[in-house]
Amino acid sequence: MAGMPGAVVPPDQGTAGRHASVVYSDDRQWAAHLCAFVRGGLERNEQMQYFADATDPEQVLHALADDGIDAAEAVRRGQLTVSTAARTYLAGAVFDPDSVFALWDEGVDAAAANGYRGLRVVGEMSWGTRNIAGADRLLEYELRIHHEVFERLPLTAWCFYDRRLVSDEGVNVLAGAHLTHRGGSAAGTALQVAPLHDSPGFLLSGSAGYDTRRVIDATAAAVSHAPTPRLELDLSDLHHVDAASLATLAEAAGRRPGGVPLQLREAPEALRRLLDLFPELGSAVEVVGR
Amino acid sequence: MTTHPSVAAEHGAQSPFFHPALFYSTQDEYLAGVGSYVRDAVADGQSVLVAVPAPALAVLRDDLGDAGRDVSWVDMTLAGRNPGRILSMLQEFADRPRGAHDRVSIVGEPIWVGRTPAEAAEATRHEALINLAFEGREAAILCPYDTALPEDVLALAYRTHPVVGGPGPYRASSGYADPHDVCRDCDLPLPEPASAVGVEFDEDGLGRTRDEADRWAAAAGLSSARRADWLLAVGEATSNSVRHGGGSGRLRMWRDGDSLIAEISDRGFLANPLTGRRRPDPFAASGGRGVWIMHQLCDLVEIRAGAEGLVLRLHLRMG
Repeated sequence: MAGMPGAVVPPDQGTAGRHASVVYSDDRQWAAHLCAFVRGGLERNEQMQYFADATDPEQVLHALADDGIDAAEAVRRGQLTVSTAARTYLAGAVFDPDSVFALWDEGVDAAAANGYRGLRVVGEMSWGTRNIAGADRLLEYELRIHHEVFERLPLTAWCFYDRRLVSDEGVNVLAGAHLTHRGGSAAGTALQVAPLHDSPGFLLSGSAGYDTRRVIDATAAAVSHAPTPRLELDLSDLHHVDAASLATLAEAAGRRPGGVPLQLREAPEALRRLLDLFPELGSAVEVVGR
Repeated sequence: MTTHPSVAAEHGAQSPFFHPALFYSTQDEYLAGVGSYVRDAVADGQSVLVAVPAPALAVLRDDLGDAGRDVSWVDMTLAGRNPGRILSMLQEFADRPRGAHDRVSIVGEPIWVGRTPAEAAEATRHEALINLAFEGREAAILCPYDTALPEDVLALAYRTHPVVGGPGPYRASSGYADPHDVCRDCDLPLPEPASAVGVEFDEDGLGRTRDEADRWAAAAGLSSARRADWLLAVGEATSNSVRHGGGSGRLRMWRDGDSLIAEISDRGFLANPLTGRRRPDPFAASGGRGVWIMHQLCDLVEIRAGAEGLVLRLHLRMG
């Protein structure tokens, strides 16, 4: 059944499987995902952290206990902590992806020091829709974390998106930035972006225009921060791009150190046309394929 | 100050910018008027651009011989098919770094026999805007007008050129009008299409509107490459409506002969009539990039700025 744990997902191994979006619409679905997450952590002997936003932390522990999981014991021995985003990674003045990445480094080190095989976290992401400073960088965070964190650290993260609290557009774009989807995949937005499965880079799908500028801004931020010299934007599923979007991406490519051009794979005709009109947009990119 | 010597002498030109219309009826008159203008400018060491229809281009090149070696030659029927993109080309030429001589001379023939009335109207707007864009610049732009053109077109040349010549010497144009007034007068009502597909849009609907425009053009038979142009132009116009035209707009699409037409209307206005007439910096967030792109990609852009709002009609030929 879509929306329930047990849906076909890639094995919980490798970078792609360790960063999952979890989309749910009611408390029953939420609890099922939560319990599956904690059972997996107990089986793998991983340290677990749950960062609530809309949920009372006590409710998390009750839901686990109701499902027969000895959550109290896991908390007592330090394997499970339940806190809130507001008291942890949102405690600063502004949500900053780089600061949160540093927290994951520290958390993974601490988990290893305590004898755990890795760190496993759940974050309720509904805060991203509220007027929180830096919340507009949530998509950038979801994109960057793939190459900048998961490829380095034994971290598993499930990002909880509650359809009751996040708009369909928001859910689809944000969940779409993950490579593994639980509780339904993302679809239906003008433009989506996700990390590439098998090489450094990102896949853009749909149609880019003024209405999708926030997606392009996040992609540009991820492009400029990507740690690898070689980086690709797979545009094979992008059927339109406007001049402003291309300029934003080209500018981000120009900010990358090292001087290796950003590869634009299978660019749509519109992009080639724009490069004809504005050759300067091509100074830091290389169009390949098609 | 250096201008075309004989013309300057005849007219006593005081302004560094010189923008005459030259009326001609025969090839000999054309060569006498245009050929001598180019020859004198070349002899003066100026950078020269000649943008005229291909047949006249061939005749002039032949007539100038070696004197035309350093002249930039452009077939206006291609480069200026859409009159709205000519001014950008002229300014780009005039802006180029050059040697010791800072004055440029240009021949621009934007209206030729065979132009449709809609094209001629936008070319007239272009002629008026030249006066604003080049005001105070060390430049001359000679615009030949074939006297076989319709009377109303010829009459408008007197309104858009401060100086006219041929037959007879150059003289001040008694009909010269403020370019803003000419542009306003060009904003005549557009003919209603027999039928059209309409799409209302706001920011949330921009993506769906692009998809709808793409599907409609594909169904109409527009090639994939031209559909990219279509979508780029429509996308820029619709996003301009959202950004500058009151947050929403209406797209209508129909076919007229061998052209597809997209009309985008909104509650906006054109604050600067020169918007989109100069090549923009693509990295700059503002400055008429969208309108400039429309002009480059479309075969004709009709602009109507009225009290009710702004209307853009984008024409793309099927071929």
